[in-house]
Amino acid sequence: MTISSTIYNPQSAKTLIDEVIERSNQNIYACYQCRRCASGCTVGEETGITPDVLIRLIITGNREEALDNALVWQCVSCYTCGTRCPNNIQSGRITETLKKMSREEDVIPLNPNIAYFHDAFVQGCTRWGRVNEMEFMGYYELKNIGKHLMNFQFRKAYDEIALQVKLGASMFKQKRLHLKLHTSRGRKEVKQFYKMAVKKKAVLKSDKKSGFGYRHD
Amino acid sequence: MEVAYYPGCSLHQSSQFYDLQTRRIFSELGIVLKEIEDWSCCGATSAGKFNDFLAVALPSRNIGIAEQAGFKEMLIPCSGCYSSHLMSQTRLRHNIPLLNEINGELAFKVTNTLKLVNILELFLEAKDNGRFESKIVKQLTGLKPACYYGCMTRFAYDVPVSDNVENPQGMETLLDMMGAESRDWSYKTACCGASAAINDPDTAFNLMGKIMKNAVKRGCNCIVTTCPMCQLNLDAYQEKFCNKAGIYERLPVYFITELIGIAMGISLAEMNADRHFIDVFGLVKELELV
Repeated sequence: MTISSTIYNPQSAKTLIDEVIERSNQNIYACYQCRRCASGCTVGEETGITPDVLIRLIITGNREEALDNALVWQCVSCYTCGTRCPNNIQSGRITETLKKMSREEDVIPLNPNIAYFHDAFVQGCTRWGRVNEMEFMGYYELKNIGKHLMNFQFRKAYDEIALQVKLGASMFKQKRLHLKLHTSRGRKEVKQFYKMAVKKKAVLKSDKKSGFGYRHD
Repeated sequence: MEVAYYPGCSLHQSSQFYDLQTRRIFSELGIVLKEIEDWSCCGATSAGKFNDFLAVALPSRNIGIAEQAGFKEMLIPCSGCYSSHLMSQTRLRHNIPLLNEINGELAFKVTNTLKLVNILELFLEAKDNGRFESKIVKQLTGLKPACYYGCMTRFAYDVPVSDNVENPQGMETLLDMMGAESRDWSYKTACCGASAAINDPDTAFNLMGKIMKNAVKRGCNCIVTTCPMCQLNLDAYQEKFCNKAGIYERLPVYFITELIGIAMGISLAEMNADRHFIDVFGLVKELELV
């Protein structure tokens, strides 16, 4: 995916820049497009869109493209862009912010598996206080395989099951699978944090509904 | 010397042998690791993708536990856990209202006095204090490791890191001291894709293929890492991504603790090294290190 040209939209630019700066805590205005982040971007080759382009999209107010592109989803959070930025802009924080914003605005993820994975992880670790690899992978696969079945893609569902069973079997053989449930006695605190986080998310979402934003309906 | 120890979920599950090795090596060096009481998951990179508050709050609980138990330093061997704790600590230092909100929920409050260290920092400190002297019984002659740091130990989110961000030398310093001939290479801080190996395998396999290709080209005969996620990815998926990238060679992926262990005369079997997917015994036998 390449973006041919960006059209400047002064109205949406103001709100978009302010929102991203406030939430990511990164000074986007400092970017002078040297593209050191682009040359270092781990997934740049896969996504075709690099942090510099993303920043350009935000500055020009292209909300739709900024929230709905491959980098927002495929960014692996390695933070190489931030270490190389001469102006100390942590673009990794910007992609994370955009990912959250795009979910708040109900944009359908380009790769839903990535969203399923992180949801399953967070739910797993806040349920027990510790992550249980078997349990959260189970939840993730249920969602992933369920998606294939809902779309009548039986072959894909079968392939996914075969792949994961194979990985599971080899992990078991190497004694790297553990069936014991790992928990933390203080998980009440962790659950409380989760509740607070969900509340904060809801506030952000309702702010958006009453104000600006676009939706995929 | 006593140091607080946070193993994290992965060192209690898929990389349990890394936990065992870490404890063993540090006890040989005279450093006592005290696992903190009832720790919880740090949320890894997933929490940050869910909500900013959660990403700061989850690690803060462990920091609070260690501080209230009176520790000055906490060792976090897993790079992912290390980076999320460091991020949380930095945020809490600069955001007092957030600190108060989080402390309101915690039984063990965060006081911002703890120093977080990764495994290399602690090893290098031990080296400077001469703790390795008389412990090294075997020179790692013939071993040409590609020291792979991954992206999380050089995490520099407003935090000064102990090593060079782009060209870290910690592992090289340690291994060369033990007689290995570590090779200079280009992908030491590249990202292996981490969880993308599961949710976006095409991307992750391309990334790992690049890392492997460079290590092979530089004439390395093994990869060494400190991160359980990097180790699992490069090890468990090696057949797959090498086939995809057209690489014939297969390299064992050691934890740094395993190589230090060999140099200290601890057998690989004692360190549960049979849990690797790619054989790790062949190379050390060939080089007559065991």
